[in-house]
Amino acid sequence: MGIRSSYYKGLKSIIVGLASIVTFLLAWEAVFLVMNNPFFLPGPYQVFLAFIRIATLGDINHVPLALHASVSLYRVLLGFVAGAVTAIPLGLLMGMRTTVRSAVNPIIEPLRFIPPMAWIPLTILLLGLNGYIFIIWLGVFFPVLLNTIAGVRRASITLVNVAKTFGAKDLTILRKIIFPSALPEIMTGLRVGMGIGWMCLVAAELIIPSAYGLGYLIEEYFNYAQTDVVIVGMITIGLIGLAINYFMLYVEKRMFRWRVDVGT
Amino acid sequence: MWAHEAWAMGLMFVVDSLNKSFHTESGTIDVIDNLSFSVEEGQFLCIVGPSGCGKTTLLKIMCGLETPTSGNVLINGVLPNPQKQKFGVIFQEESLLPWRTVIQNVEFGQEICSGRCSLDIARKYMSLVGLVGFENYYPHQISGGMKKRVAIARALAVDPDIIMMDEPFADLDAQTRWILQKELLSVWSQLKKTVIFITHNVEEAVFLGQFVAVLTKRPATLKSLIKIDLPYPRSRLTPPFISYREKIIGMLQQEIPSI
Repeated sequence: MGIRSSYYKGLKSIIVGLASIVTFLLAWEAVFLVMNNPFFLPGPYQVFLAFIRIATLGDINHVPLALHASVSLYRVLLGFVAGAVTAIPLGLLMGMRTTVRSAVNPIIEPLRFIPPMAWIPLTILLLGLNGYIFIIWLGVFFPVLLNTIAGVRRASITLVNVAKTFGAKDLTILRKIIFPSALPEIMTGLRVGMGIGWMCLVAAELIIPSAYGLGYLIEEYFNYAQTDVVIVGMITIGLIGLAINYFMLYVEKRMFRWRVDVGT
Repeated sequence: MWAHEAWAMGLMFVVDSLNKSFHTESGTIDVIDNLSFSVEEGQFLCIVGPSGCGKTTLLKIMCGLETPTSGNVLINGVLPNPQKQKFGVIFQEESLLPWRTVIQNVEFGQEICSGRCSLDIARKYMSLVGLVGFENYYPHQISGGMKKRVAIARALAVDPDIIMMDEPFADLDAQTRWILQKELLSVWSQLKKTVIFITHNVEEAVFLGQFVAVLTKRPATLKSLIKIDLPYPRSRLTPPFISYREKIIGMLQQEIPSI
């Protein structure tokens, strides 16, 4: 009975979800019919056709949608890796050493409240057209840093003492106790950072000129007044963001099978 | 200093005129005051004292996590240094690494001590404390008593020079505590390790120890060192057992009148 009822529950939630999507599309179609202005707001079917066109034939320069998406993803991954490799070591150090925390906090705390988008003009000026990575790095860095610090400070002093009484030196304690203790928080930071990085990328692509990227696609077709392709770009951004988030949640769940509260 | 001479006489563990005070904003707190006692190789010593008398601070000094204000602890004639000696320390709190399985936890001490771990040794001590079949469980999947067994197996697996326990069974229910006390004695009689066992439970101390060191209230000093002249296995109901217990409880009552 338990299995059957959970099976029906799963089926039910899928049906409800699908019904919700269909309702949304119908509402969209209704607004489209009432407005009767395909120029401003194209209908779902028109967007679907535009999606097929951009995905197969490519945009005005024959660049297919998949290439735009790949370029965007590549930029995000670079910025994400840069953010992770800088924020995690600094976070570990700041979490373990009060002196480092007191030294770094006065610089980092005010910077944290400057939205990455506000850095775009200065970035173009200083780093030129490849400034994307810096903007994404900004988006990734702070959530990873703050979560790493929080994770380190949550590590149990008893576990540190256990390692010490077995004769562990500082580096071993960091590797075998502090880092694994902080890892769930670090992963949360990475997931949040990835989401913010993705948003920063698209914002940067809208502003920094280039011939590739989903943000560029939106910007370019806005200039051609082809709203259907603009919406194709938006939906692609949303779906990829969703896929990344699911992927990272899946990785977290696999990594932290030892935790009681994962996946609930 | 008599400590070095004492070691020459075969005393493997010596606490010599130990003092420890902490400096806080509201002044200096003396935690341990001129405490001295010694343990011979292979002996089982229990330390009892009123709550808050500084037992945990004493343990931290004994295993080298804290340094004394003055005086010494000597283990085989040298100051405690976990990087040079092998300690098996068992804490009261949850001390298993939650991201490691039971067997990986048992291997942890060996991994740190010798840089490598032998699965055979880990398995040997797991079977000694009755953990066979639980190798691949995570700590959150096993009971409090099982977790203590894992901590004991982990401590034994490094082949420690000395085992130090800080109220290891305090959080357990009475039944589990009795079982683990018996198992600890059986492990001790098989391995012949020196054990220092800190507790506030007088019955536990009399059940386990060849000697019971009774501490005063803070600042802790030695009130009395009592030899428990009863053969193992001990019964908690025999008149001599009860008289030892009552004697020690009487001593602690003098320290804290409200017991």
